[in-house]
Order: sequence, then structure tokens, then C-alpha cells
Amino acid sequence: MASKANKPELIKDGKRLDGRAFDEIRPFKIEASVLKNADGSAMVEWGNNRVLAAVYGPVETQPKHMADPMKAIIKCRYQMAPFSSLSEHSRSGPNRRATEISKVTKEVFENVVMLNEFPGSMINIFVEILQGDGGTRAAGITAASVALASAGIHMKDLVYAISVGKIGEELVLDMDMIEDNYSDSDMPMAVSPKDNSILLLQMDGGYTREELPRAIDMVIEAGKVISAAQREALRSVYKNIAKKYEGE
Amino acid sequence: MVNEAPSRISHCYVDGGKTYSMVLGIYDSESRTVVPLEGVWDPKIDEVVVGVVKSVKNKVYEVDLNHHERSIIISGKFDRISFRTGDVVEARIKDVENKKTIILQFPRLLSGGTVIEVKPAKVPRIVGKGNTMINQISEATGSRIVVGKNGRIWISGGDVGLVTRAIARIEMEAHVSGLTERIKKMLEEETRR
Repeated sequence: MASKANKPELIKDGKRLDGRAFDEIRPFKIEASVLKNADGSAMVEWGNNRVLAAVYGPVETQPKHMADPMKAIIKCRYQMAPFSSLSEHSRSGPNRRATEISKVTKEVFENVVMLNEFPGSMINIFVEILQGDGGTRAAGITAASVALASAGIHMKDLVYAISVGKIGEELVLDMDMIEDNYSDSDMPMAVSPKDNSILLLQMDGGYTREELPRAIDMVIEAGKVISAAQREALRSVYKNIAKKYEGE
Repeated sequence: MVNEAPSRISHCYVDGGKTYSMVLGIYDSESRTVVPLEGVWDPKIDEVVVGVVKSVKNKVYEVDLNHHERSIIISGKFDRISFRTGDVVEARIKDVENKKTIILQFPRLLSGGTVIEVKPAKVPRIVGKGNTMINQISEATGSRIVVGKNGRIWISGGDVGLVTRAIARIEMEAHVSGLTERIKKMLEEETRR
């Protein structure tokens, strides 16, 4: 698989494999309230990623001994569908990677959800990757954030997440699968756009002291687009219904 | 989510001298309130709810209100109530104990009928200002309707199908103005048939 020996030329004439500029994200589309049974849901299409997020809650905590009488608890399940990508994820069920991503996603939302509004309850977040092409945890967090909002759960902010990577000496935003496999470094970040506080920062590889602030700036700059799209997705659900009756 | 100068508005919080909304809603600058579009029901004293009896232990009835908080009816020595598991009851909230247990009073058995569920955030629109909307529906269809603030609605008699359709439509279009007129038109058209 990914090794230095068969590494493709990731950057050609100042452009990336798919023709994007270094600080360009893949085409991003998000839709809110796509599932009727869930309290809140969202579907994200981010490049070749297809991510479905559903939120149920607050509900009575099960098992009961996990309930916290002072605040709500969040449960998160990140899962890649067996058909989501190449052979690696063909076996269903939680694995080491899914458990890790579930944990970090949960910790992101523990910072933004007003947990003390619903003491003793449980909020379930399900993130299902239908098709994965690099940066799925970022897409999952971005989708789950909108799903939480569409469930009417009290939150401080709408979180978004993007990953930033390093190919050779260049910093590149939102890497896809091929870039991810052969890159020198990969750093997914979740940001709360209200005050640009960083809620998730994982690093695979390394950055120099000069590169890290530049990478963070790149994420925040691109996040404005994502953030606007998230808000628009929530708004358009209600606008579309209103539009039907504008003539009357 | 909305933000302006620091102020105390429900469904909002203040951070760094600015007010932010906690929920997905519409901000009305005139009345300075955030009207939630989606939301979790926040039980308050004296609200009417519709629930299903889940368990009976001695004289304590546990009621399922479709909410994460436990709700119970404690029947006093002289109360002449006796419910069975699965009964649909209408009751008033007596107390909410530290956001954990809802205590109900004045329970009333709702026998027969159908129970439907709606989003609790849409209940105010279904009831309407001064019960106008719900009266309009029950007059047109001849049904008896009890709306619980927890998002459960009990319908009995009359044209249950039409009531359900009307309520589903209100739930869908709650944020679009001129709703009462549209529902009136819909009810007229459907009852004529």
C-alpha cells in the first residue's frame, strides 16, 4: 500500500492531483433533516465523502448507572459502512479506528452542547460513513453538528472540522484518500467558529513551529465557507416549506 | 445562531458581551424573543400533558411522556383513581423535581381514541392563540382533542384522519404566516366532500 517506493507525484505545476489549489477544499454540500425518524439529521457530500449523521435525544439514559444527575451524557458511534471504501473496512462492527473517532467526536460535542440543560439524560450521535475518501472524521463532525442543531439541542456553537496536511514542503487543505496515504503529515481540526477555539486537534506526522500557525489559519479561513453552508442548510429546510406558500 | 448586545433572552446565553442563541430558531426583534423551530420540551408547572401509564407500583403510577425525565402520579389516600398499564391519561404537572422527576396531578383517563405524536416545539401553533386553532379543527371534524404539551395528542370520535392530516400540516408549516387561514381552507374543502 502506501510506501515511499510507489509514491505518485502529488503536486504537479503548483496544483494537486485533482487540480485543486493548496488551500482549496473539495466541493461541499450539506443537507439538514434528511431522516424523518431521527430527532435531527444531516447528510454531507464532501468531495467523494458521503456522510450521514443522526441524533436521537435527549432520551432516558440506558444503562441507568451511566446517568449523570448533574448533566447529560453524549454517546457517539462513528461507523464506516462495509461498502464505504476499499477492502479495509469490509468487516462491519467497531474496530480500533472507529472507537477512537467515536471518542474524539464525543469529546468535541461535550464542549459545545449545553449538557446541564438536560441532567440525567443521554444524547445519541450516530455518524455513518457511506462512502469514504479521506477526511471522514472531519466530515462526520461537520454533519453531526448540523444534526444536533436540527434536533433542537441546546448548543453554544455550530462546530465544523477540516483536515490540513503536508505534502513535501507544502501545506494542503482537505486531503483526499490518495493524498492522505502518501502525505507527510495529516492534522484534522474541529473549530468553534464563534471564537475560533480549537476543539479537536490530532496530528499524524509533524509540522515545524512555523507551519502549525499557518495550518491553523488555513483551516479557519476555509471554515468560513463550511460554516456558512451549515447555517444555510438549516435555514433552507424551513425556507423551502415557506416558499410553497409565498404566492398565496 | 443569532447574536446581539448582551441581554437576557430565553433560549440564549451571553458570552463575551454578546448574546448567542442556543437553539435553532427565529429571532423576533420586536418582542426580543427567540422562537425555537426545533426543540426539546421543557416541562413547566401547570402544563397539561398526555401520557401512557408504564407501570403501577402500590399507588404510584409511572407515566411515559416521551421525555427523558421520569414522570409519576402519586395517588393520595382519598383519590379514587386506578389505572392500568397501557392506559392513556391526561394530567397536569404539579412539580418538576430538580429536572429529574415530573410529578403529575389531576389525572384523567382518556379511554378509546388515538394518540399521535408531534414535535413539542410545534404544540403552541397547534393549539393556536387562545385555543383558536384547535377549536377550529375540533369544530370542523367533530372530534374530541386533548393536546399535551409533551407533544402527544389524543383524538377521539369524528374524522380522526382529517385531524391527523391537519395537525401534520400545522407541524410542517408552523413557521409560515397565514397558517390559520390555510388550515381553515383545508378543513372546509375536506369536510365538503
